Amino acid sequence: MASTSTTAGEQAPGLQSQLMTLNLGPQHPSTHGVLRVVVTLDGEEVVEAQPDIGYLHRNFEKIVEGWALPGVVPFSDRNDYLAAIANEVCVCDAIETLGEVELPDRAKWLRVLFAELQRIISHELWYGAFGMDLGAFTPFLYGFRDRETGYLLMEKATGARMLYAYNRIGGLRNDVTDAWLKELEGYLDFMEKQAFPEYMKLLIENEIFVMRTKGTGQLTREQAIAWGASGPVLRSTGLPWDLRKKRPYLVYDQLEFDVPTGTNGDNYDRAMVRMLEIKESIKIIRQVLRRLPDGPVLAKARAAVRPRVGEYYARQESPRGEVGVHLVSNGRPNAYRLKWRAPTFSHLQLVPLMCRGVKMADMIANLGSLDIVMGEVDR
Amino acid sequence: MSLPRTVWNTVKSLVVGHAVTAREIATRPITVFYPEEKPEFPTGSRSVPVLKVNEESGYINCTSCGLCERTCPPGCIEITQAVDPATNKKKPWPHLYTLDLSHCMVCNLCVEACPFDALEMLDVPELATYQVQDLKFHKEQLLDLWKTGKAIRIAEGQPMPSK
Ligand code: SF4
Ligand code: SF4
Repeated sequence: MASTSTTAGEQAPGLQSQLMTLNLGPQHPSTHGVLRVVVTLDGEEVVEAQPDIGYLHRNFEKIVEGWALPGVVPFSDRNDYLAAIANEVCVCDAIETLGEVELPDRAKWLRVLFAELQRIISHELWYGAFGMDLGAFTPFLYGFRDRETGYLLMEKATGARMLYAYNRIGGLRNDVTDAWLKELEGYLDFMEKQAFPEYMKLLIENEIFVMRTKGTGQLTREQAIAWGASGPVLRSTGLPWDLRKKRPYLVYDQLEFDVPTGTNGDNYDRAMVRMLEIKESIKIIRQVLRRLPDGPVLAKARAAVRPRVGEYYARQESPRGEVGVHLVSNGRPNAYRLKWRAPTFSHLQLVPLMCRGVKMADMIANLGSLDIVMGEVDR
Repeated sequence: MSLPRTVWNTVKSLVVGHAVTAREIATRPITVFYPEEKPEFPTGSRSVPVLKVNEESGYINCTSCGLCERTCPPGCIEITQAVDPATNKKKPWPHLYTLDLSHCMVCNLCVEACPFDALEMLDVPELATYQVQDLKFHKEQLLDLWKTGKAIRIAEGQPMPSK
């Protein structure tokens, strides 16, 4: 698909078609946040799609240079606001490595637990939104029903629905209770027994969905690698690149799980990879619940974090791909420079490539299947 | 795929899909007509850090040490220490204590930083105002808020970890 040249289509002689430029967004329900795409259309066919970013720019990287490092952690929630824990864990990893803070065991396991719960919630939201992009409204309600339950669970443990401010340098702010862990188990059971089959029946196995998504928005493995794609977008092309497996952090090396991959790199495969990832996350959380050690969740001596002089690149697998934090420190309590690598920033650059020559409705589907979060793209 | 097969599959998936949604007919609607109707707010969500009153002494605990002011990442706390006008000596309580909730990211860091247990995170679900300056709370307003709201003990009744 990528090599499709722009065709004006067959025209009746004497009929002229005129190119039209359309602004999709920045306020449009199908653009996933304040994303503006300038689309040049030939009839219903997209000639060119240029994403225009920056509407949600909050100057994260510059602001945190002036802040003491503990404050960076809650602020990083605002990057990928749909998977805030993934941001926190990654930035904490960078700071802890440079600050030489040892994590207690329980904190490591709990971080894995929360990161995976966050992955489930994030994919549920994506499921709902992707259904909407394809014109199916019902999956949206189902996805959001379960996402809400997940958020309530998160809120009970962390005190906030989306922007948790839960990780601290050296661990987690507070422990979870046994009652909460029980409740979480109930949620996993519900997800596995009821919600997941429902998701499959409502959308993924639906013939219309399959016809709409198979073969559209196709990416080759080389393209995905060349454009810096990661996460489900890269894995859908058949490359089992998952940082949890390839560069294990926290306690992922002690856990058993598979890395779902696709073969064609089209919208359907991306959807399938995400759905299977929900299953894998459930599996991981169950293992964590079984093996969760006791002990403190916050390391002592965390009052003044003074990282050593040096730099470190922490990378982790967020629901959307590789989140990276490049922290440069000159020994002061604040970062000299903090570079944030956002996976969806790279994915967004694929839009012109994927959308050339497709129908307008498919373009929305392509955008949706990339699972873009503008908070992270613009930072 | 042949056309009849596609049609058959489409019809099948529509039936399967509707079988899932048909179950919802039997369930009760869960829509709440907010704000006429108040939903049950989830408890335990952080919403505003406030000064609290010491139950024993009846005063605030704050000694105007300024730690929270320095800890707060966006800098939304502003403290002016009380000064005795006669002797020009500093007093261990704040003359002014302002919290700009419009900048606050409700991160709880100030509460954790305070060495005198003078701050508390509250669970007040409805704080929205029409004017952004109404979100600037002074000492007295914070104390009033403290009286109305309830403090959250994060993680279901667990006390916050002591420092
Ligand atoms: S909760 Fe965070 S942002 Fe708000 S006043 Fe306290 S330290 Fe500042
Ligand atoms: S840290 Fe506590 S005692 Fe010190 S100024 Fe802030 S509220 Fe007052």
